[in-house]
Amino acid sequence: MIISENVSLIYPDKTQALSNVNLEIKPGELVYITGPSGSGKTSFLKLLMGMEFPTSGSLSVFGHEINKSNYGNIQKLRRKIGPVFQEFKLIQGRTALENVMMGMRFLGIKPKQMKEQAHEALEKVGLGHKKYSKVENLSWGESQRVAIARAVARKPLLILADEPTGNLDYDNAINILKLLKSFREEDTTVIITTHATHLINNEKNAMFINVYKGRITAERKGMAV
Amino acid sequence: MKTFLYNISYFFKETGRIIRLNLLSNLFSVIGTGLILFLLGLVVTGTDIGNHLVNMLNEEAEINGYFSKHISESDKEELVAKIGKIYGVRSVRLVDKDEAKKRMEDILGEEASILELFKENPFEAFVEIRINVDEMDPILDNVKNLNGIEYVRDNREVLEKIKDITYAFKILGYLMIAAVGITTIIILSHMIRQGIYNNREQINTLRLLGSPGAFIGFPYVLSGIFLTLLGGILAALSLVFLIKTAYEGIGSTILFLPLPSKKDLIDKMILLLPSLSFILGLLGSWFGLTSIRKK
Repeated sequence: MIISENVSLIYPDKTQALSNVNLEIKPGELVYITGPSGSGKTSFLKLLMGMEFPTSGSLSVFGHEINKSNYGNIQKLRRKIGPVFQEFKLIQGRTALENVMMGMRFLGIKPKQMKEQAHEALEKVGLGHKKYSKVENLSWGESQRVAIARAVARKPLLILADEPTGNLDYDNAINILKLLKSFREEDTTVIITTHATHLINNEKNAMFINVYKGRITAERKGMAV
Repeated sequence: MKTFLYNISYFFKETGRIIRLNLLSNLFSVIGTGLILFLLGLVVTGTDIGNHLVNMLNEEAEINGYFSKHISESDKEELVAKIGKIYGVRSVRLVDKDEAKKRMEDILGEEASILELFKENPFEAFVEIRINVDEMDPILDNVKNLNGIEYVRDNREVLEKIKDITYAFKILGYLMIAAVGITTIIILSHMIRQGIYNNREQINTLRLLGSPGAFIGFPYVLSGIFLTLLGGILAALSLVFLIKTAYEGIGSTILFLPLPSKKDLIDKMILLLPSLSFILGLLGSWFGLTSIRKK
């Protein structure tokens, strides 16, 4: 469960990234956060991951009070999250498989099981045949799939995908969204930010949040706002 | 702990990768650390040899007690026995008049003929007392206060110098250990920081994925220990070679020099330098990792 009450975020340079955000996201929900570039979508994801702290208000993510958490608690929270970063943050010089496993090494999973989960995740994103390829030799789309595999292989409670369709053509973008949505079926909460609302127009079974200049301007379940 | 056990092979692979990433720089660090530890080994060996020599000299430290006139031979024997029981006295021996004269003749050599000018033996019997230098003052007081002892000759100045030399060797050894320790820790912590800087993106990603600091830092600690240990082994091997060569050279040229056992010195270096390098590696890595822990 994610509960945000009057959350505001002001960066040190006085930029108001978010203003009085009130939200409640239930486990297993699929959430699209839409809005133009610079509206505060990524800032909200950063708050959820404990990369930023609310300037005011309170934010609880799966029982972790972000405002009150120390570094150790934030790390515990992050282990429950599968992030798909906008720039992927894959570790260069390693294979796709090594990158996926890297996200699981500190979760107390046995080596054999870890390998199985990594293989399974790579198969799921359609990269089973490229698991031994170095990530720097993969295309943009393939790298993104590795990032998704790394996020889901951890079997997280929450998947956060920041602009996963950003640089993709229509078909690939739709496929990526389908892939991310499929993990919701495993009772994982999926939060996706995108400014490409045309890709999610037909989505019926999701929560849509529109952000503009740091404020939530529309929140709705069902069809896109 | 479970996580660490599951990832042992990963940690070793990472360590290898961290070292390979800056191979040349790390190689020079190993050589640098090895040289510093070699210097430390030299000082420790020098201190050991010095201490051994001083101990030998200490054992040779002696005072002479001269008897009162008209004291009987049995009283002299009794006094010798009493002196032998004083705390700090290593050995005691009665030197009679004839032996005293013989000793002087040995010292004078060709000039000994001058002693023939005396009609009678001009030397007196005395008691030769070998002592522990540290207990010199109480021994002197005790012997002087004995009935039948008229005069005690001590080599206080020489003995004080011996004590000073021992002390200086010890201080020099401690200073060298401190200097080597600090230098190694600084070199190593900078090396670790460099490694962390080179891998900052990977470290940042691991943090964002929720990795504990200890998991991120462990390969760096391992690489620090491995590199200093390598330096320590290098230093120990060089020193063993040097000790062997030096003993062969000194043994055949300065026969009278009472050196400590070669085996003892070598064993000490083989144990000391790698162990010390391991500890320094651990400490250096620990300091180097503060840059991860603070963030």
